[in-house]
Amino acid sequence: MSDLRFDGRVAIVTGAGNGLGRSHALLLAKRGCKVVVNDLGGSATGGGRSSAAADKVVAEIKAAGGEAVANYDSVEDGAKIVQTALDTWKRVDIVINNAGILRDTSFKKITEEDWDLIYRVHVLGGYRVTKAAWDYMQEANYGRIIFTASAAGIYGNFGQANYSMAKLGLVGFANTLAIEGKKRNILVNTIAPIAGSRLTETVLPKNITDALKPEYVSPLVAWLCHESCEETGGLFEVGGGLFTKLRWERTEGKLFKLGRDITPEQVKKSWSVITDFSKSTHPANVTESMGPILGNLESKSLGGNEFIDVDTALGYELPPQHSSYDEKDLTLYALGVGAGQNPLDKDELKYVYENASDFAALPTFGVVPALQMIFDMYKRGETAPGLNYGFERILHGEQYTELKRPLPPRAKLTHKAKIKDIWDKGKGAVVVTAITSYDEDGNELVYNEVSTYVRGAGGWGGDRGPSTDVNVPPDRAPDATVEEKISPSQALLYRLSGDINPLHVDPGFAQAFGFDKPILHGLCTFGFAARHVIKTFSKNDPRYFKSIKVRFSDSVFPGETLVTEMWKESGNKIVFRCKVKERDKVVISNAAIELYDEIPKAPAKKAPAAAAAAAPSGEPTSAEAFAVIRDFIEQNGNLASEVGKTFLFKLTNPDSAWTIDLKNGKGSVTAGGDKADCVLELSDADFRAMVAGKADPMKLWTEKKLKISGDVMASQKLMFLKKIDPKRAMEVVAKLRASGGGAAPAAAAPSGEPTSAEAFAVIRDFIEQNGNLASEVGKTFLFKLTNPDSAWTIDLKNGKGSVTAGGDKADCVLELSDADFRAMVAGKADPMKLWTEKKLKISGDVMASQKLMFLKKIDPKRAMEVVAKLRGSGGASAAPAASAAASAPAAPKPAQAPAIVKALGERLAKSPALASEVGAKVNLVVGSNAWLLDLTGKGAISEGKGDAQATLTMEDDDLVALAKGESLRTLYMHGRVRVDGDVRVAHKLNFWKGLV
Amino acid sequence: MGMGRRVNVIGVGMTKFQKPGASDEYNVMAVKAARAALEDAKIEYKDVQSAYCGYVYGDSTCGQRSVYELGLTGIPIFNVNNNCSTGSTALMLAAQAIAGGLYECVLALGFEKMEKGALGSKFTDRTNPLEWQANLMSKVQGFSSAPPAAQMFGGAGREYRWKYGTKRETFAKVSAKARKHAANNPYALFNQPLTVEEILASDEVFDPLTRFQCCPPTCGAAAAILCSDDFAKKHGISKPVWIAAQHMTTDFDSSFKEDSMIKMVGFDMAKDCAKKVYEEAGLGPEDVQVIELHDCFTTNEVLTYEALGLCKEGEAEKLIEDGDNTYGGKWVTNPSGGLLSKGHPLGATGLAQCTELVWQLRGTADKRQVPNAKVALQHNLGLGGACVVTMYRVD
Repeated sequence: MSDLRFDGRVAIVTGAGNGLGRSHALLLAKRGCKVVVNDLGGSATGGGRSSAAADKVVAEIKAAGGEAVANYDSVEDGAKIVQTALDTWKRVDIVINNAGILRDTSFKKITEEDWDLIYRVHVLGGYRVTKAAWDYMQEANYGRIIFTASAAGIYGNFGQANYSMAKLGLVGFANTLAIEGKKRNILVNTIAPIAGSRLTETVLPKNITDALKPEYVSPLVAWLCHESCEETGGLFEVGGGLFTKLRWERTEGKLFKLGRDITPEQVKKSWSVITDFSKSTHPANVTESMGPILGNLESKSLGGNEFIDVDTALGYELPPQHSSYDEKDLTLYALGVGAGQNPLDKDELKYVYENASDFAALPTFGVVPALQMIFDMYKRGETAPGLNYGFERILHGEQYTELKRPLPPRAKLTHKAKIKDIWDKGKGAVVVTAITSYDEDGNELVYNEVSTYVRGAGGWGGDRGPSTDVNVPPDRAPDATVEEKISPSQALLYRLSGDINPLHVDPGFAQAFGFDKPILHGLCTFGFAARHVIKTFSKNDPRYFKSIKVRFSDSVFPGETLVTEMWKESGNKIVFRCKVKERDKVVISNAAIELYDEIPKAPAKKAPAAAAAAAPSGEPTSAEAFAVIRDFIEQNGNLASEVGKTFLFKLTNPDSAWTIDLKNGKGSVTAGGDKADCVLELSDADFRAMVAGKADPMKLWTEKKLKISGDVMASQKLMFLKKIDPKRAMEVVAKLRASGGGAAPAAAAPSGEPTSAEAFAVIRDFIEQNGNLASEVGKTFLFKLTNPDSAWTIDLKNGKGSVTAGGDKADCVLELSDADFRAMVAGKADPMKLWTEKKLKISGDVMASQKLMFLKKIDPKRAMEVVAKLRGSGGASAAPAASAAASAPAAPKPAQAPAIVKALGERLAKSPALASEVGAKVNLVVGSNAWLLDLTGKGAISEGKGDAQATLTMEDDDLVALAKGESLRTLYMHGRVRVDGDVRVAHKLNFWKGLV
Repeated sequence: MGMGRRVNVIGVGMTKFQKPGASDEYNVMAVKAARAALEDAKIEYKDVQSAYCGYVYGDSTCGQRSVYELGLTGIPIFNVNNNCSTGSTALMLAAQAIAGGLYECVLALGFEKMEKGALGSKFTDRTNPLEWQANLMSKVQGFSSAPPAAQMFGGAGREYRWKYGTKRETFAKVSAKARKHAANNPYALFNQPLTVEEILASDEVFDPLTRFQCCPPTCGAAAAILCSDDFAKKHGISKPVWIAAQHMTTDFDSSFKEDSMIKMVGFDMAKDCAKKVYEEAGLGPEDVQVIELHDCFTTNEVLTYEALGLCKEGEAEKLIEDGDNTYGGKWVTNPSGGLLSKGHPLGATGLAQCTELVWQLRGTADKRQVPNAKVALQHNLGLGGACVVTMYRVD
C-alpha cells in the first residue's frame, strides 16, 4: 500500500502549538503538506497570548524538512488565519478546527462570561475560520474540514455545561456543512478525541493518560483529510488505540394512530415500548428520521373511548390457555341442559351415561371450555389491552359455536382467543371474541365467537357493523316444534359446568339486578334448543352437528316451558327460535343450526411433538463455564501476575457464588466466597449467555442486569475471558460430563434423585417448618461440595435459621463431593463412614457436626413434595431450586400460643408461688392473640389485654422458643420479644420452660 | 494528659451544620471554620505553627488541601482519623503539642462531608475495624438489617432498659431536650422543636430507638486555636478559656468479655476517662455547670450521664425527670443541641463541642447561655474505639 501523501496541499491547523493540534500539524507536514500552524499561545482557560508555541512547532516542522508558517491570531479572527494560507501558498485545502479552551465549572457557579467565552472560541471561532475557507474551497471544488468535538458533548460531563454545549454544537454544524459541501467535494467530519486533557489528567491514573497520546488521534485526522477518503458527515471517537464511528440509534418506538387525542397516560403506558432498544433503527438523515411519521400520516384511528380503545384491542391475541375435560364434564353439562329428564329415554341416555355404547358429547358443550377460559382470564385480570370495562357492563349478546368434528369423550385443549370485531352500536358496543380450541395434536376442534354487548360503551362514531337480521324464520308455520318444561332447579345444575354467576342462583342477588328470581343461563337455553334441533333433524345423532348461531333476546326463568320452533331451510340448515310458553316471549332469535352431510373424521395423529422438541443439551452450565475458566487459567500461567485482582461472581436464580482469584499464586477458580476486589452480580442465565458470547457484558451492565461493585475498573481485566478458545472449552465440558461428575448438577442428575441444590431447598423447608431448630442448634455450617463445586451455608444460629448458597465462614465446615453429599442426604451413604474414609472432611467446630443429626428427621415424603414443587415451578431444569424455595410461601402453621398459655394456666394453678413472686400484671400479646396474666395473687389468666405493668409482644414461634427453654432476655435482646412498660417485670417471668 | 504547660483556647469557630448534599466542599467548610477561629483569636495564620486536621471520610491529606488555602507556610500538618472522636483527637494532639512545649500556637481543625444515610463501611475488602464489636453484638443480640451503629447503641439501650426498667419516653425526652436547646443555636442542623410524642411516633430504627433519636449524617467544620500562656500574653489575650484536664481512653477487656452492649459501646471507656479528668483537675461533676456530651443516640446520652458520674448507675431516668440536664437544673447537657440536633459531622463534632463550651465559658452563648458557667465538660466518643473527655475552665 502506498503512503498517503499530501504533497501540494495546504492545511490550516488551529491551536497547533500544543497537544492534538501540534500532533496533527507534524503528521501532515511530515507527509508533504504545507501547514499554517495557528496558535494564540494563550492559557488553557483563554488568558494571555504569545507566539512561542506556534513558532516552536513551525521550527520543528522545518527542522524535519517540511514547510510551515506560523499564525498567532485568535480563531475569532478566522479570516486572518485563512489569509495567512492564501498569502503564503495561495490555496487552502484542509482546515482542522482544533483550537479550544476550557472553563470548567459546575452549572451552579457558571458565569455568563464562562459560557460566552467557550462559545466564542469553539463555535464562533470554528465558524469564522471555516467560513473564510469555505468560499475558496467552493471555487476550488475541493476541501477537507475537521471539527473537534468531545465525549463531554456527546455524553455530558459534570462541570462542562458550556464546553459540552459548544462541542455538540460543532457536531450539528459539521453535519449540515457535510450536506452543503458534498456536491463540491468538500468533506466535513468530526472527531471526539479521547486524549489527555486537564480534566482527565487529574482523574485518571498515569498509565491511562499515557495511553491517550495525541499521536493516537492524528492518524484518523490525516486519513479523513486525504483526497482519497470519501467519508463525510461522520463522527468518530478516537484515542488510546481506539478508532470508532458513532451513529444515532433510535428505538422503533410507539406509533400512535392519528385522529385521536394522545394523552400523557398513553405515553406513560407505552413507556417500555418507547424506550425499548431491542427494536431499533439508525436514521442517518432528516428523511430517514421522518420516515415513520410520514408513514403514519395515512393512519387513522379506529376510535374508542374510556371503555374501549379499538386501535389497541382490535386484533389482539390473548395468550394461549389450556384446559381439559372428560366424560364427567360432558355428562354434567348434558344434565345441565336438560338431557335425561326421562332416565328411560335411550336417545338422551347417551349424553349422560358414559358407559352407553353410543355415548356422545352434546355438541354445544363446545362453548363451555372456551368461555371458561375467558372467565378465568378475566378473573385474573388478564383482559385484552384496550378493553377497560367491568364484568357488570356486559351481556352475552350472540353466540356462534362450530365443531370441526364430533367432540371426543375427553380432551386436552389449547385455546387461542382474539378480539375479532368491535362495533359501535351507539349507546353500547359489541365486542366479538373469536376463540379457537385445538386438541392435543394441534388440530382445530372447536371455533367459538362470543359477542358481548357492552352497555354504555359505544358512541365514538365507529363502525356499527353488519345490521341485517340473519336467520329470520320464514313466513310459514314451523316445520317442527319441541316443547319442554325446564326444571325449576335447572340453573342450579347448569352452573356446575362453570358459570357460577350468583345471578342464576342467589335470589337476593337476582332481585338486586331487577329480576323477581334467579334467571336461567342463556347458554343453558342454548343447550336445550340445540338438543331439540338435533333430536328433530339430525337423526338424533349429534355427530352431524356443525354449528349453531343464536341471539339471546330475553331471559328465561327456571320452571318455565321452552318452545323451540324449527324451520328446515336447506338440507343441512335449520333456522329456529325459542319462546317461553307461559309468557309467549321470544328468548332466542335469529338462530340457526347447520349440520354436516357426513360425520367429519378425526385427522391422522401427528408425530409426537416431544421428540422434536428434545432439549438442546449442549449449552454449558455456569459450573461448567467456571471449570472452563479454571482450565484457561491453568493453561496461562502468567495470567494471575498480569491481572492482579480477585473477582467474585454472585449468580442468581439459581444462586451460586464463584471466586476467580487472579492475584495470589497462579490464580484459581473456586466455588463460594464473599469478598473480592471486584464483585459482579448477575443472573445465572445472563452469565451463561455472556460466557457463550451471546450477551454483551457492557449491555448487561447498562441495562442494570449486571451489577459491578468494589474495584469496578478491575472488571476491565476480565477481557481475558474473550480469549478462551471455544473448542478447548467444549473439550473441557465434554471431559467433565464424561467423568460423570455431572458438572451440570441440575440437568445431569438422574431424573428422580434430588440435586444438591434441591437437597438444600429441602433442608431450608425443614428449617422453616421447625421454627425452633435454630435456637436448639445455635451453629452455622458451611458445606463445600466439589465436582461440581458449590458452597452452601446452613445458618442455625441467627434468627430463625436459613440456608443460602455461597458463604466461606461458619462454625463448622464440611467438605465432600457433590455426589457423596447427595448420597448422604438420600440415606445411601453414612456420614461416619465417609468421614473415616476421608471422603468427608470436617473442620472448625467439629462437635457441631453432631447437631446435623436433625437431617435424619426430614420426612422423605415431604422432601419429595418440595422437590416436585421446585421442578414444577422451574420447568425442565430443577436448578432454580434455591430461589424457588426461597419464594415458596411456607404453609401457615397453627398457632401454638393458646396451648402454651393454657399449659401456663395449669402450671400457675399447681404452683401459685410462681405468680406471687412476680407481683405484677403482664399483657402477653402473641401474634393476633392477647392475654392478661394477672400475677399479683395466685395467678389468673384472662383473654384480651388489660391494665398491666408490662406488655410482652412476640410471634408464635418466639413463645414456642420460650417454652422450649430460650431465655426471655435473649429473645428481648434479639428484638424478638418487645417489652413495653417496666421491663424489669420480665426478669421474674421464669415459668415458660417446658410448656410445650 | 498529665503535667505540662497550661493550654489556652483562644479562638473557636464553626460553620452552620448542613445536611449532606446541601453543604460546601470539605475544604471550603474547613477554611471557613479555621478563618472564624483565627479571627476569634485575633491572630494571623502565619502565627500558627502546626495544624491537626480531623476527618473520617476522604482520601489522605485532605488536611493540607484545606489548610493550604490559609497559606503555604510549610508548617507540620497532621491528618487525624479516630472515628466519631476524630475532632477531639485532633484537639488533644494540638493540646499536647502546646502542653509539651513543642509549639506556642496551633490549630485544631475538624471537618466532614458526609453522605446521605446511615454510617457504613467504606472499605469492604479488608478487616473491618469494628469486627470485634460486631461479633460481640452478633453474639448478644444477633445482626439485623438496621444501621449497625443504631443496632449497637440501640442494643445498649435495650440492655439498660432490661436492667433498670427504663421507660421508652425517657429516651425520647433526651431528644426533645436536644431539639429545645438547638432551637436557639443558629449553627444547628435542626432548629425545629419536637415533642416526646412526635419522637416516639417517628419510624422505629431499632427498638428502643426511633428515627428522631438518632443523630443525622451531617456536613460541617469546626476549629480551635490553642496556645501557651506566653503566646497569649504576647498577644494581649487576657483570661482565656483553658483546658483544666484532658484524657483519652480506648477499650478495656470489659468491652468484649462481658457480653454487655453497654460496655461494648464504651461505657467503661467513658467512665475511666472522666475519672482521670476529675482527678487531674481536682474538680468533680458537682463543680461543672455545662456539658457537651456524645449523644449520637439518645440511649448514649442516658448512659453517659452515669459514666460521667452525674448520677449513680440506674438513676439517669430520675436525673431526666428532675430536669437536671437542662436550664434550671444541676447541669445543662448539650446546650448546642448536641449531635442529635446540631448534627454530627464526625471529624468536626469534637471541635464543635469545644466551640460551644468556649462560648459558654466566655458568656457569649446568647440565648443558650448557661448562667455562671465557669467549668465545662466535653465528652466525645468513637466506636472502635476512643473516648476523649476534656474539662475547660475560665478564670
